[in-house]
Amino acid sequence: MTPTPVVRLRATGVARAFGTEQALAGVDLDLHAGEVHALVGLNGAGKTTLMRLALGMLRPDTGTVRVDVGNGPVDPVGAPSATWRHVGHLIETPFTYPELTVRETVRSAARLRGLDRAAATAATSQVLAELALDHWAERRARTLSLGNRQRVGLACAVVHDPQVMVLDEPSNALDPAGVVRVRRRLADAAHRGAAVLVSSHHLDEMARVAHRITVLHRGRVLGTLDPAGADLERQFFDMVYEEEDAVADAPTARETAPTSPRSAA
Amino acid sequence: MNAALGVEALKLYRAPAARVATAVLVLVLPAVSAAMVAVARSGSDSPLAAKARPMLIGTGWDAYLGMLAEIVSVAMLLAVGIVLSWVVGREFAEGTVGALLALPTSPRQVLRAKLVVTLVWALGCGLVAAVVAIPGGLAIGLGAPDAGALRATGRLLVVAVLMTLLALPLAWVATVLRGYLSGISTLLGIVVITQIVTAAGAGGWFPYAAPSLWAGMGGADAAAAITPVQLLLAVPVGLVGAWAAAHRWQTAELV
Repeated sequence: MTPTPVVRLRATGVARAFGTEQALAGVDLDLHAGEVHALVGLNGAGKTTLMRLALGMLRPDTGTVRVDVGNGPVDPVGAPSATWRHVGHLIETPFTYPELTVRETVRSAARLRGLDRAAATAATSQVLAELALDHWAERRARTLSLGNRQRVGLACAVVHDPQVMVLDEPSNALDPAGVVRVRRRLADAAHRGAAVLVSSHHLDEMARVAHRITVLHRGRVLGTLDPAGADLERQFFDMVYEEEDAVADAPTARETAPTSPRSAA
Repeated sequence: MNAALGVEALKLYRAPAARVATAVLVLVLPAVSAAMVAVARSGSDSPLAAKARPMLIGTGWDAYLGMLAEIVSVAMLLAVGIVLSWVVGREFAEGTVGALLALPTSPRQVLRAKLVVTLVWALGCGLVAAVVAIPGGLAIGLGAPDAGALRATGRLLVVAVLMTLLALPLAWVATVLRGYLSGISTLLGIVVITQIVTAAGAGGWFPYAAPSLWAGMGGADAAAAITPVQLLLAVPVGLVGAWAAAHRWQTAELV
């Protein structure tokens, strides 16, 4: 008998608009302990907005979001420190300041995430080693490449070993070796019981690390993809084009878009 | 909040803008004051001496530290205003504000830490400037500091505190307008309005003008006319500005 999954994050009927732009239009999403749940979608699909809602940075117009790190579900807007102590996030701009060294940056992030001085120092050394950032540890962040800044941002997000991770395109700008390290870090975290919500444009990458893949388009969940399934890219574009056809008065979307997912990639 | 204080202190310590402002406040201002007083006392009929003499109120240490207080009354607002606008507004301009949310350290604590660190830095600069002024006075031949020096130092420090408090609303401006340049441009606007209000004769009741007038910027008569209530208007202005900034950090959607 399959054990009941432990829900760490639940969005129910979440909608949010920015002016006339409907960023999310009634999204339901669960994130379970011990899984990597991938959000995939085109630019503007609503992935970042959904993640910001999950973290209480934005408030939904309608619907609810609840985070549960073991103390019962709470609204992320105004959630207590005890909740955030177990949450890590990387949304767009990483926590990096050009005047600080990599080690100072990660240690600062650890302190702000509730670790005391000694624990922050130890956790910083550990995560720098895990993400192969030792070489740059004493370098100022302003001297880092874009990819390494991203890795520092990820180190800041996971330095306190959170139970819930919300990561917006964490492998953005990383080289292939960096992508593998990040993938390994996420898989290890999930194996230890963490719940990881991760967004990406890269289906191949998500297929390697995710337990579930949810497709988001125009602020709506179109469906899910089986990470072990064949030709995820084709399945993804089939979903997107079907939705485009459904909402369009005329079938112009298909006429102007690539007919083959391969040619669109 | 201790963690936020440590992080913000480190960021400010490393900030080039704060280092330049520190050098100006603790070294350049006492040096300029000493030079102006030396020129004014020299008996020279140069244009600089002619302009410097009316700025002196009293004699000796009182006049020297009074001139320093006049300069500090403007420079402190500019320096603290620029640094505070940057400390707060950079998080929006550089996009890092999102990384400061959804943490055990609340947004309000982060903003308070920014204010406290900037306040401590500014008041430290005021104190050090007062200490650095002593060798400056000795160097221009004022002799050993007297009772007037102590009184003038007290006035200098009060002016530094008031102008620092008056810079606090810029934290709210930098938050609402999401960047440090908006805070700095607002600061320039405040300076211009202060000049206009002072020229119109209403400076005593304008919080940003009262400390400068009290320091002697408008002459001895204008300084004597400033009341404690007029000076203390800086306190509610600063506190309301700080509260408004902290409230916005805690309640608004900052991303």
